[in-house]
Amino acid sequence: MCDGHDKLRSNNKDLQEVEKQWDRRHFLTKTSLGIGAMALSSLLKTQDVLGKTTVNPNNVTVEGFLKNGLGLPHHLPKVKRIVYLFQSGGPSQLDMFDYKPKLQEMFGENLPESVRQGQRLTAMSAQQSVFPIAPTIMDFKQYGESRAWVSELLPETAKVVDDICFIKSMQTEQINHDPAITFMQTGHQLPGRPSIGSWLSYGLGSDNENLPTFITLITKGQGGQPLYSRLWGNGFLPTEHQGVQFRSGKDPVLYLSDPENYDGNDRRKMLDYLGKLNEVQHDAYGDPEIVARMKQYEMAFRMQTSVPEVTDLSDEPDYIFDMYGKESREPGTYAANCLMARKLLEKGVKFVQLYHQGWDQHIFCPGGVRNKCKQTDRGGAALLKDLKQRGMLEDTLVIWGGEFGRTVYSQGQLTKTNYGRDHHPKAFTMWMAGAGVKKGFTYGETDDFSYNVIKDPVHIHDFHATLMHLFGIDHERFTFKHQGRRFRLTDVHGHVVKDLLA
Amino acid sequence: MRRVSFDLTGLPPSPEDITRFVNNTSESAYEEEVDRLLASVHYGEHMALDWMDLARYADTHGYTVDRYRDVSVWRDWVIASFNENRPYDEFVTWQMAGDMLPNATKEQILATTFNRLHPQNLEGGIVDEEFRSEYVSDRTNVMGQGLLGLTLACAKCHDHKYDPISQKNYYELYSFFNNVNETGQIPWDFSMPVPSLMLPTEKEEQFLAYVDSLVNTKETELEKVVQTEKQTAENWITDKKYQKINPQNKPKGLVVHYDFDRGRLYNKINPSQKGEMRTKFTRNEIPEFVKGYAGKGLKMDGDVYLDLDKLGIYRRHQAFSIGIRVFIPKDLEEGVIFHKMLGTRLHSYRGYHLNIKDNKFEILMAHVWPENAIVEETLDEVPREKWVHLTMTYDGSSKASGFKLFMDGVEMKTKIVHDNLYKDIVFNNYQDIIYDGPQEPGLKIGARWRGRGIGGAIVDDLTVYEKELTPLEVLQNSNPETLKVLSSKSPEQLSKAERDALTKYFMAQNSTSFQDKLNELKEIRSIQSDSTEKVKEVMVMKEMEEPRQAYILERGQYDALGEEVFPNTPDAVFAFSDTLPKNRLGLSKWIFDEKNPLTARVTVNRYWSKLFGTGLVKTVEDFGNQGELPSHPKLLDWLAVNFIESGWDVKALHKLMVLSATYRQSSLTTNEIKAMDPENRLLARGPALRLTGEMLRDNALLASGLLNDSIGGPSVRPYQPKGLWKINGSEYKPDSGEKLYRRSMYTIWKRSVPHPTIATFDAPDRSVCITRRQETNTPLQALVLLNDPTYIEASRVMGKNMLVFKDPNQAIENAFLRLTGRNPRKEELHLLAVLREEEYQKFKLKTTKAEGWLNTGEFRISSEDDKALVAANAVVASTIMNLDATIMKR
Repeated sequence: MCDGHDKLRSNNKDLQEVEKQWDRRHFLTKTSLGIGAMALSSLLKTQDVLGKTTVNPNNVTVEGFLKNGLGLPHHLPKVKRIVYLFQSGGPSQLDMFDYKPKLQEMFGENLPESVRQGQRLTAMSAQQSVFPIAPTIMDFKQYGESRAWVSELLPETAKVVDDICFIKSMQTEQINHDPAITFMQTGHQLPGRPSIGSWLSYGLGSDNENLPTFITLITKGQGGQPLYSRLWGNGFLPTEHQGVQFRSGKDPVLYLSDPENYDGNDRRKMLDYLGKLNEVQHDAYGDPEIVARMKQYEMAFRMQTSVPEVTDLSDEPDYIFDMYGKESREPGTYAANCLMARKLLEKGVKFVQLYHQGWDQHIFCPGGVRNKCKQTDRGGAALLKDLKQRGMLEDTLVIWGGEFGRTVYSQGQLTKTNYGRDHHPKAFTMWMAGAGVKKGFTYGETDDFSYNVIKDPVHIHDFHATLMHLFGIDHERFTFKHQGRRFRLTDVHGHVVKDLLA
Repeated sequence: MRRVSFDLTGLPPSPEDITRFVNNTSESAYEEEVDRLLASVHYGEHMALDWMDLARYADTHGYTVDRYRDVSVWRDWVIASFNENRPYDEFVTWQMAGDMLPNATKEQILATTFNRLHPQNLEGGIVDEEFRSEYVSDRTNVMGQGLLGLTLACAKCHDHKYDPISQKNYYELYSFFNNVNETGQIPWDFSMPVPSLMLPTEKEEQFLAYVDSLVNTKETELEKVVQTEKQTAENWITDKKYQKINPQNKPKGLVVHYDFDRGRLYNKINPSQKGEMRTKFTRNEIPEFVKGYAGKGLKMDGDVYLDLDKLGIYRRHQAFSIGIRVFIPKDLEEGVIFHKMLGTRLHSYRGYHLNIKDNKFEILMAHVWPENAIVEETLDEVPREKWVHLTMTYDGSSKASGFKLFMDGVEMKTKIVHDNLYKDIVFNNYQDIIYDGPQEPGLKIGARWRGRGIGGAIVDDLTVYEKELTPLEVLQNSNPETLKVLSSKSPEQLSKAERDALTKYFMAQNSTSFQDKLNELKEIRSIQSDSTEKVKEVMVMKEMEEPRQAYILERGQYDALGEEVFPNTPDAVFAFSDTLPKNRLGLSKWIFDEKNPLTARVTVNRYWSKLFGTGLVKTVEDFGNQGELPSHPKLLDWLAVNFIESGWDVKALHKLMVLSATYRQSSLTTNEIKAMDPENRLLARGPALRLTGEMLRDNALLASGLLNDSIGGPSVRPYQPKGLWKINGSEYKPDSGEKLYRRSMYTIWKRSVPHPTIATFDAPDRSVCITRRQETNTPLQALVLLNDPTYIEASRVMGKNMLVFKDPNQAIENAFLRLTGRNPRKEELHLLAVLREEEYQKFKLKTTKAEGWLNTGEFRISSEDDKALVAANAVVASTIMNLDATIMKR
């Protein structure tokens, strides 16, 4: 524990003082972990003596378990990789998943104050004189053995509800897009913190040497609320953990292609020379950094092959394209990105995140949501099916959701066939499917207005905690020291939602 | 040489520089080079780039919408300041409190843009106070982190967990920055957020001064006309001509009249002009006609407004008057009676309105509210449950005194809330993706988009005049019976006030010379308005007259107001003297007080870290409990005291550090030393650091001769892969020609999509203050150096330059020297020569292979050049660019 402090490094008395202090501080810092580790090991030893298997609070054995340099995973992970289908703009839960039949009788009535309870509204609708209730015009039915309610807008998703765990009780505090999406992606409403994928990359590393650990795919040509690179950024974590955006088109990764007509063999030759030249440099300076940099060049070279390989969908069989829908043949569509996500997951990419913009239906909500569902329903459902038939749903987690929900009252004019919905943070729907989560299950409940959560709320922090848990990480113990504070994805909040877990 | 060149100017030494230095055998050879570098204009640029990280400088607002705004003028000032070697305390004081200095110059005010560079949000629908509070927090945090090495931000929501900084301390510091007349939601269009500083060019300044004087002259002439016409007016009164005034007539200049009596919405003055009941997104709502003041009136529901389309559109130099009868219910809290605007906060209330707020009437006219605006409110309260006629008149003067509000013909007393309108109030057919077609909103009655309307009220008798109505004209329009009384009086019975009123009436209605002169004034004012409109602005700090009360925000939440606090600093650092003013100026003096243990040490430490890779205190941004202790505390203190005593002389500090033996050590070292001190904290060897993204690009550009080294100006757009900005809903159009090759620090910096050529190398997105960049090593960086068009093009240009040398070895040596600052070793030269030959043969055999090498980027070789040779040379140059020898400063 007292590593190095008995060996003073300098002859200068002042510096010796500093060194002593240093090491004492190191000791103090390390000991807090060290003592803990000691305690655990003694605990383990005691248990052994008593002949019981060692357990951790999650009731899973940790003996003989490979932990990395950060001591992760803390417990046995259920999930090896994840695809997060992010619907940017705030999809309307009332028109898609949250079935509220009682509202049909309340068309046009002013939202009771007892429901709203003075909750803050965005400045877009806050000045309205009335908040007329806008029941959905979509038809809802129950599906599958789980009898899950799904609206007419999502026929394909309806077919796979028995694999899905719906969370009807998601909650956030944010009422505007930037803070809300930032919160969803980084655990904090203000920019500067690492995204979920970056935390996972930092904590668990990569399973594939040739591809980035964290890849983002954005549906091409969608309008709606803008996105920004810090949503998959590394914040204060080392830059190698940032998400890499794969774009549709010639260069999925920026600057991937060599100059025109200069092919892989040419590049290989040049890199060989580069290597030899750097060796000369290395002989002169002996700096391991030189070797490390060469490794990055080699990785870049491998990516020049592995990335086009994985992003090239042309050798997928026809039945796969049929399953994802004909749009999946067109690069950059949501369906194509879903298909590409499967390929990336197959290659061991740990975190694939899709972004689909345009869910921000302030006005013309029914038409808008219908359109968005059409663009995304089939691809998402196909991805689930595809993973399942490959046996990958056993250790892959699929997540679907946006940054907040939408209001039960109409923003702007309400008619029998049309309404708008403003942002709504207090209740919205997400779903998860795959490793570690219950199937054919609905968790949480909202009131008759889909306004407040009345049962089993899941705050974004809780969602993050649960996500980490599925990856074998204790969200409270996985921290990174920055500017004097040990940050974590869940800030200082969050509880693992055990009842969601299989 | 290379190390100090990069460290002081961000540029490599040229072969000539190197030769000169090597050949200079005098003892002071190195010092001479250092002096040369410190005197170079590029020194200022390089120091400005460093300051830009701390100041979180970007060319876009940040947050979602992330629009462009040009604050490069401030950057120019920073560059000049470093070149002139402005003392650091003055440099920072101007930025913290330049506007508060006595007789503050434009330059001093411009410096304060520093405290407005934080991200700002235009997203419609945000809670304004939430973000305004965030901006104030940001200024507090930047001061803490950048100037004092304190993680103040940790004390926003609770007492600092480790350092002796309480939450109260935080908000006491916060209160220094809290007194700016700004909004959390800035204008959706491209207007500069307020408060702003006008930056006219010399020509504009001259012209504006000239036009201003013309306006003054015209106003004087108008007064003269009033004097000369006085006698004629007297006669008109004496001749009882006023008795002919027909109260049933409307004054001249009526352009809009709605009485709603026919149960239809149209302008009686021009029936083809129809009105429409609507909201922003729904058209042709059904109007509700009810019993009005006379005949029918229009009932308002608070959300749907009467849109008069293109009527009521006036610019700030145009006089106009609007009259309306309104019945206001008692339970109406807030609502707009009429307005000409596009939404409310979305465009910062550009336009004008008459509003009911806090039970008073509020007049507003703005370019960008709250600073570039006129706001007045009545002293009297709003009368309820009865019909009143309101007339708002305006004289086109852009001053609060130009507004009057009459109730039933009697002028209401008002108080001026704000009087600083200096730009126009129209939209000039503004186009934007969120709108259908060009926007120039007209007059709307009773409600507004994203605002409160007068729900439950009834309106009647809407009149709009394209002039300023005089009091009697107002009476004639609103309460003709009262006018009847007056006009039936004999001249002797008239009171002085009535005579004055009649005189004014005469001028406005009957005196052609008065009306003509009024028109001339309007013309001049329109020129004045046009010329002011073009003038560039930049956002700055400006202290409000009455400081805004600051509070402790419970858990850091913007609306959980706790204890009241006042400007003060943490005692734990050192006490704020009673003699100092409790404002940013006092704060600046406190920061630079010689008793302040932090400022100097933090600053010298930061500059040390830039030169040596790690600060004496590793945690440059945190000198608190959780930060690290200095590796050489006495050295740190000595440097700090030295810095203060030198008068905060930054160039002297740099010279001292780079001239030191420590800095000048070679970075070559033994394995033993490396094992003992892997991070070089004990400085037994010189620093070996990776070039920054900016340096790498500048290096390639300078080595190839492409670099355009002009200083300052707005940011430019070098090559960038197509479509990167699409996710943010905008388009990146690269520049062409010279602008492509400016120094990297001028690359347009978009917070949501920072430029990958540089950002890939750990350049921050500048949403927050950064005092310490990461230094990472990723495959994406390799891809940039291998394939970014910037580097391919630079390689080609170098390839062409190499043609000058007949001897391939010389050609390679020259390229090597330019890129790495040294000559190649024998083995290196050999390898490169072999590479070149092989590539040359390959390209000769298959010329198509050279396509990309020859055509990426704008530069083209001439048809006489040997394509294969240039391409082969380019490959060699590119290889050198990717060598450790280029990438690292050793």
